[in-house]
Amino acid sequence: MDAVLQCTGLRRAFGELKAVDDVSFEVGAGETYGLLGPNGAGKTTAISMVAGLLATDGGEILVAGEVMTPRASAAKRHVGLVPQELAIYPDLTARENLDFFARLYGMDKGGRANRIDRVLEVIGLADRAGDRAGEYSGGMKRRLNIGIGLLHEPRLLILDEPTVGVDPQSRNSILASVEDLATDGISVLYTTHYMEEAERLCDRIGVIDRGRLVAEGTRRELVSRIGEQDVVRMKVVGDASAAAAACESVEGVGSSDAEGDEVVCLMDAAAGRLPALLAAVGTSGASVAGVQVREPDLEDVFLHLTGNALRD
Amino acid sequence: MSPAVGPAVGTVLAISRVELIRMLRERSNLFFVFVLPLLLVVFIGLQFGGTAGTPVGVVGDGAATDELVELLDEQGGVNVTRVDDADELEDLVSRGNLGGGVVVGEGYGAALAAAEPFTIGFVARPDSASMSLRTVVEAAVAEHAAASQAARHVADVTGLEASTLVDLADDVRGEVATVTVTAAEVGGDALAEEFAGLGQFDLGASGQLFLFVFLTSLAGSAALIQTRQYGVAARMMSTPAPTPVVLAGLAGGRLAVALFQALYIIVVTTVGFDVDWGDPLATGVLVLLFCVVAAAAGMLLGSVARNDAQASGAGVGIALVAAALGGSMMPLEFFPEGMRQIALLTPHGWANTAMAEIVRRDGGVADVAVELGVLAAIAVVLTALATVTLRRAIVR
Repeated sequence: MDAVLQCTGLRRAFGELKAVDDVSFEVGAGETYGLLGPNGAGKTTAISMVAGLLATDGGEILVAGEVMTPRASAAKRHVGLVPQELAIYPDLTARENLDFFARLYGMDKGGRANRIDRVLEVIGLADRAGDRAGEYSGGMKRRLNIGIGLLHEPRLLILDEPTVGVDPQSRNSILASVEDLATDGISVLYTTHYMEEAERLCDRIGVIDRGRLVAEGTRRELVSRIGEQDVVRMKVVGDASAAAAACESVEGVGSSDAEGDEVVCLMDAAAGRLPALLAAVGTSGASVAGVQVREPDLEDVFLHLTGNALRD
Repeated sequence: MSPAVGPAVGTVLAISRVELIRMLRERSNLFFVFVLPLLLVVFIGLQFGGTAGTPVGVVGDGAATDELVELLDEQGGVNVTRVDDADELEDLVSRGNLGGGVVVGEGYGAALAAAEPFTIGFVARPDSASMSLRTVVEAAVAEHAAASQAARHVADVTGLEASTLVDLADDVRGEVATVTVTAAEVGGDALAEEFAGLGQFDLGASGQLFLFVFLTSLAGSAALIQTRQYGVAARMMSTPAPTPVVLAGLAGGRLAVALFQALYIIVVTTVGFDVDWGDPLATGVLVLLFCVVAAAAGMLLGSVARNDAQASGAGVGIALVAAALGGSMMPLEFFPEGMRQIALLTPHGWANTAMAEIVRRDGGVADVAVELGVLAAIAVVLTALATVTLRRAIVR
C-alpha cells in the first residue's frame, strides 16, 4: 500500500492519563480510514498529533513521507484539518474565511481566487459566498468548515467527527461529500463514534478504546472476529440469568448473556436453531416475550472487543 | 526579501488585516471608535480650551457696519461672524452657538454721518458672560461713534452744521490725544502660561487619543479571545505558518487596531478641529510607542481572560482608570503633586507629559527622550509577557 499517512507507536499522556498508548496505523492513497471509538477513547488526541497540533510523547508520524511535528511546515502542507468544533470567523463571509486560510497556506493570488471559487462550488456555498458565516445554518457552517480543510488540495484530509450536532439532512450531505472525496483520490482520516458512518464511509476501520487501537481492518474483517455468528436477542418474562444459562446448552451457541430482562446469544445458524433456543428458555421457567435475530455489526464487534457499548 | 521571509510577512499581514476588519465590522465600535472620541474632544475643548474667543454674530450691511465689525474684532476675546437676519441671530444665540449678537439696523451709516442718535440692538442669554460681552460691544460701538458724538456736542454748542463737524472730527481723530490704560498682571498664573497659545481643542485631543487607543485596544482584546473560542487560532496552528509567525500576526492585529484608532483621531481633529499636534516626528514616535504599549496590553488581557465578556469588562475598567490617573481626562497640571507621581505609574502619564512638551513648548524627539524611553521599556516588557501568555493559550 502506498501510504499517505504512517503512524508508528504513537503515545501521548496528560498527567497519569494515557490518552493515546502505542497506536500504529496507516492510511493509503485514496483510502478512507475510520477511527471508531466512544467519546474519550483518544481519537481527537490522535488526530491532533497527526495534524501537528500536539506534540507526541513517543512514536513517529509520516505524512507523504514528511515527519509531522508541531513545527513541521512541510508536512502540514499535505494535511487539511476539519476540527470537530467549527473553526471559522462568523463575522467574515465564506469567501473571506476561505481567502484568509488560503493566505495562511501561502497560496498565491491567482491560484487562490480560482481555488476559492472551486471550493465554494464543491461545498455548495457559491451563491452565499458574500454572506457572513454567522448568518448561515448549522449545515452550511459545517460545509464551510470542511471547505477550509480542502482549500489547499491536501494529500490527507482529517475529519474529526464532522457530523456531531448536525441535522439529518446536513449529515447526509456531509457524508456524500466525504464519499466524493474518496473518488477524487484524497486520503481521508475520519473519526467518529457513529458506527453507521464508519460502515458507510470507511475502507478500513481502526477500533480505538482507552487510548489503544484494539482492532483494525475492513468491516468484514472486523465482524469476522466474532465468527460467522448471528446475534439473537430475546426479551424474557422471568429470571433472565437462568434463561441465559439454559441457552448455553443449545447446540451452536457461542455465548449467552443476560442484559436486564433480555438474553443475548451469539450463535451459529440461528434461523434453524430458534425452536431449540425457545425451548431452552422454557425449561428455565421463563417465557419469551419477543425475539430479534440479526447479523452482527461494529457495535457488537466493539462490545466483543472491549466489553463496553460504543455509545457509552 | 528571502524566500522564507516573504510568506511569513504575508501571513502576518493576513492575520492583522482580518483582525482590523473584524474590529471595523463590530457595530458597537462605530460609536466607541468613531463618535465618542470626537464628542469628548469637543467637550473637553469647551471645558478647558477657550483662547479662541467668544463667538459674536453681527446683523447689518453697509460700510459703517463693516467698520464696526473691524472694531469688534480688534477688541480681543471675540470672534465675529456675520449673520443674515435678526431672527437667525436670536436662534443661534438661544441655542448657544453664539455667545451674543449685535443687530445694526438700516440707516446706521447715515445717522453717524449726520451725528443723529441711533440705537443698536444687543442679543444675549441672561448670564454673567453676556454682561462681559455687552461691555466689549459697548466699547467698540462707543469708539466707532466717538467722532459723531463729538460733532453733535460741538454743533449743539456752536450751531454749526453737524455733518461738516463729523467730517472734521474724523479728520482729526488720529491727532487727538488719547488716554491709554495699561494692565499689569500680578500673582502670575502658571496654569494660564502653560496653556497659553493652545487652540481650543488641542488639550482634549491628545488626552483623548491616549485614552481611546488604550480603551479600544483593551476592549478589543475580546476579539483575540473569540479567535481562540471560534477554534480559528488552533486551526491556524495546523497550517504551515510557524507559531512565531501566527503570534506575530495576532500581535500585528492588535497593533493595527491601535494605530487605526490613533490615526483616525489625529486626522479628524487636525482637519475638523484645527488641532496642532506639534513636531510630526516626535508625535509620530510617541504615538507609535504608545500604540505598541496598548496593543501589548490588549494582547496580554486577551491571553489571560477566560472569555470575551470578561476581557471587555476588565478592559474598559482598566483603560478608564489608567486614563483618569494618567491625565487623559484632565490635564496633569491640574493634579496635586502626589497624584502627578501616581500618574507616572501609567503609560498615559508618560505619554501626556511628552505630548505637553511637544505641543505646548514645541518639543522635539530629544526633548521627550526620557518619556519615549520609558514607554519603549513598558512596550518591551508587556510585549514579552503577552507573547508568552498568548503562546501558552493557543499552543498545546
